Amino acid sequence: MSLVVPIVIFMSLAIISAIVALETKHLMISIISLILMNIFVWAVFMFFHADLLAWIQLIVYGGGLTALFLVVVVLTEKQTDEMFDWKKTTFAALFSGLIVGILIGVFLVFDETKLTFTGRVTSPAGAMSEMWVNRPTDLIIQALLFFATAVAIGALFVKHKTDSRKEEIKS
Amino acid sequence: MMDQILLLIFATILFGVGLYALLGKRNIIKILMGIEIMTVAVNIVFIALGTDLDNRTFNQFTIVFPLISLAVGAAVMALGLAIVINNYRHVKSVDADEMATLKR
Repeated sequence: MSLVVPIVIFMSLAIISAIVALETKHLMISIISLILMNIFVWAVFMFFHADLLAWIQLIVYGGGLTALFLVVVVLTEKQTDEMFDWKKTTFAALFSGLIVGILIGVFLVFDETKLTFTGRVTSPAGAMSEMWVNRPTDLIIQALLFFATAVAIGALFVKHKTDSRKEEIKS
Repeated sequence: MMDQILLLIFATILFGVGLYALLGKRNIIKILMGIEIMTVAVNIVFIALGTDLDNRTFNQFTIVFPLISLAVGAAVMALGLAIVINNYRHVKSVDADEMATLKR
């Protein structure tokens, strides 16, 4: 039996867990979903034979940081629920979806054989130079994406500043 | 090779989910969760690009860089959660917009 099916199942479960962790209103359920996501990612790593990283990731992120999140949620339990902001949520979903779509398009369109490093890489500089030789288009697209992200975040920051100034003037 | 593409797509979607939390959420705890998800996604990309599934071997940097990333990510999370608690003691809220009051 091919391993692709269980890998896809675990990946889907991890993504669903991550979305549930961010979208549910109860922070305790968020934390439980985060633990589940880490467990599913652990399973994916194990399928790819990255045993050491899988265990360390599970111990550090699934265990230690989750305990920290738990402590913080318990200490801040009297908070009010977050109000749902349609405008902000739609913008964030569209922006994230655009970036994800572009990246997946890049992965699928370009030749698969160019996505692997060869065994000749012996240093970080060598890895970068090999990447530049084999995948210049990807690097350029990534640079453009980073630039677009920086511009978008800058625009958000300026908008936030302008709004807060307007509120100050009103008050 | 198909598994590698799957891993890359998986990591990209996870990164998008984390980015969505970063941009669309106001609760600082959820924003930190988004950052954690993005860090996990980056580690998955390291595994995807450095693994040789046929021989079950890894590039030597494939394991080392995610470990460093894990350590730094854990430190960032701890610092962020400490700031959350400190902010909550002042303004009794975990809303990111309320943190602007720290500047005054």
